[in-house]
Amino acid sequence: MAEDARKRVLVVDDAGLVRLYYREALESAGYEVDEALNGLEALEKLLLAPADLVVVDVNMPQMDGFTFLKTLRRQAPPLCAIPALVISTEAGPQDLAAAQAAGANFYLVKPVRQAVLAEYVALMCGAGA
Amino acid sequence: MVNEAGETDEEFRRLCDFLYRRTGMLFSDSKRYFVQRRIADRMAATGSSSFASYFSRLRSDVDGEIERFINAFTVNETYFYREDHQFRCLSNDLLTRRLNSKLPGAPIRIWSAPCATGEEPYSIAIWLLENWPQVDAYDVEIIGSDIDTAVLEAARAGQYGRRALMRLPAELVEKYFVQTGPESWRIIDELRESVRFTPVNLSVPGETKGHGVFDVIFCRNVLIYFDPASRRVAAENLFENLAPGGYLCLGHTESMSRISPLFEVRRYADAIVYQKPGGRADG
Amino acid sequence: MPLIRTTSSKPTEPPAPSRAGLTSGSSEERWTAARAAGGSAQNVAALGVALTQEQDPRVREAIFTSLALINTDESVEAVLPHLRSDDAQVRAAALDALRAMPERTAGHLPALFADADGDVRLLACELCRTLPLAEMHAMLGVLLANEHEANVCAAAVDVLADCGGEEILPALAQCARRFISDPFLTFSIKIASQRIASQRPDRGE
Repeated sequence: MAEDARKRVLVVDDAGLVRLYYREALESAGYEVDEALNGLEALEKLLLAPADLVVVDVNMPQMDGFTFLKTLRRQAPPLCAIPALVISTEAGPQDLAAAQAAGANFYLVKPVRQAVLAEYVALMCGAGA
Repeated sequence: MVNEAGETDEEFRRLCDFLYRRTGMLFSDSKRYFVQRRIADRMAATGSSSFASYFSRLRSDVDGEIERFINAFTVNETYFYREDHQFRCLSNDLLTRRLNSKLPGAPIRIWSAPCATGEEPYSIAIWLLENWPQVDAYDVEIIGSDIDTAVLEAARAGQYGRRALMRLPAELVEKYFVQTGPESWRIIDELRESVRFTPVNLSVPGETKGHGVFDVIFCRNVLIYFDPASRRVAAENLFENLAPGGYLCLGHTESMSRISPLFEVRRYADAIVYQKPGGRADG
Repeated sequence: MPLIRTTSSKPTEPPAPSRAGLTSGSSEERWTAARAAGGSAQNVAALGVALTQEQDPRVREAIFTSLALINTDESVEAVLPHLRSDDAQVRAAALDALRAMPERTAGHLPALFADADGDVRLLACELCRTLPLAEMHAMLGVLLANEHEANVCAAAVDVLADCGGEEILPALAQCARRFISDPFLTFSIKIASQRIASQRPDRGE
């Protein structure tokens, strides 16, 4: 039997408390959650084990969110098709456009309520369990 | 959920985070139990009665605890065919791709740095002889380098004890070693002549230049010991010493992601490796 | 006769360093020049100028590394302006370089915390991680009381969650009251306070 039938979400943000906040939100909604501190680490983790969705912050060291997304979209399947939810402090139309151009599927502006995050994730990749 | 050393999942993640920020060590899920056991070992060794107090000690690097913790993963682990999945990746994936980029007659150059007492470069040589069908068709230069000249002398001498050979099948020991005592074996002369040993300090800018450019570099389990500035210098040295399109292999708990954005990450069947951009486009 | 065919020919050298200097020539040449410049404090001004012009991210990395190696007040000053860059990678590289020069950066923190740009203040929080506890508390305590941008406060809380001591708990509580409608910040402060409160020295250690 499948060891873990839960959907897997990779949360990418350089702040540990942000990752914890999203983790709590998503684990209570039934998702399996993995974390990465920056875009490079996220890419490595996905290369080892693809996720069903990636939640990514824009501002991170070593590889920022947009660079990560562009790199992700250049990978072989299934990585290139992983739905991506970008979370940013910026709310301007140009920021949204930049996210879209980088390959984001959805965009949320901080602060994000845990319930809202779980709703968007369910919308994007299906229910947790 | 309480783990091996009495820590919660969250506490465990925080410790991993801290180590990652400080050393670049990255633990995959499959390593989890192993890491937790090491935490338990270190708690016992330091007399820490709670995870919180051990973590506090680690964070403040009391008595060099960070290095002691790292050593728990890497100490006494130099032996032949260590992490041989990377050698498999070398013969199955990396060399084929490098051959596409090379000029006819140009040798394949492989660097093991640091090489310590030589197990790694000799392992590479043995592996290629045993597993790479084209080993006779190309010139292969294997260089082992280290900052410690005493270990280089030992590497040139090529004498090893039983423990270093424990992962080698008996027929390989038979083929490539001469037993020189009840507990010692020496690499056969022809193999010793296949590897050149040189001194080098990876953390000095530009110091590695004279070694030329390599197709593949193995730099395993040393970057984690460097401070952040030295790590960047070492990463830049390694970058400089790679041919465009050349590959870098780090140790099993290491990731370039905390160290430097210079390289591109590549996943092959047997390993994750780092590539210097340029050369022909890679798959 | 070696088992593996080796060659006695000279290995291919990386390109020789050119006279081109830090701001001209190919990116390979600028890379080499940038690395070579890290050997002397006299090169800081030239490195600083090159940094403002350099577009190749790899060469920029090499310039930042050299400035961090030089580790003087001038090299800190050369790096500081790049905390404000529009390019996230540049900001990150600048932060990393300053992190490698903690003693000399510390003196600049008050100015960074007074900066009009919230992103700069946010990065300044990160730079507090290596400060002695009392100084960290002093700087971040003031920020928690006065900062109006939630994500800057969140950066301070993130640092304190890892490194803070009991003395900062009241300031954290006060900040939570100021931002009572921010779900993430109140969550962070709750977690940070719990972690700080649970850091007890071992009995008998």
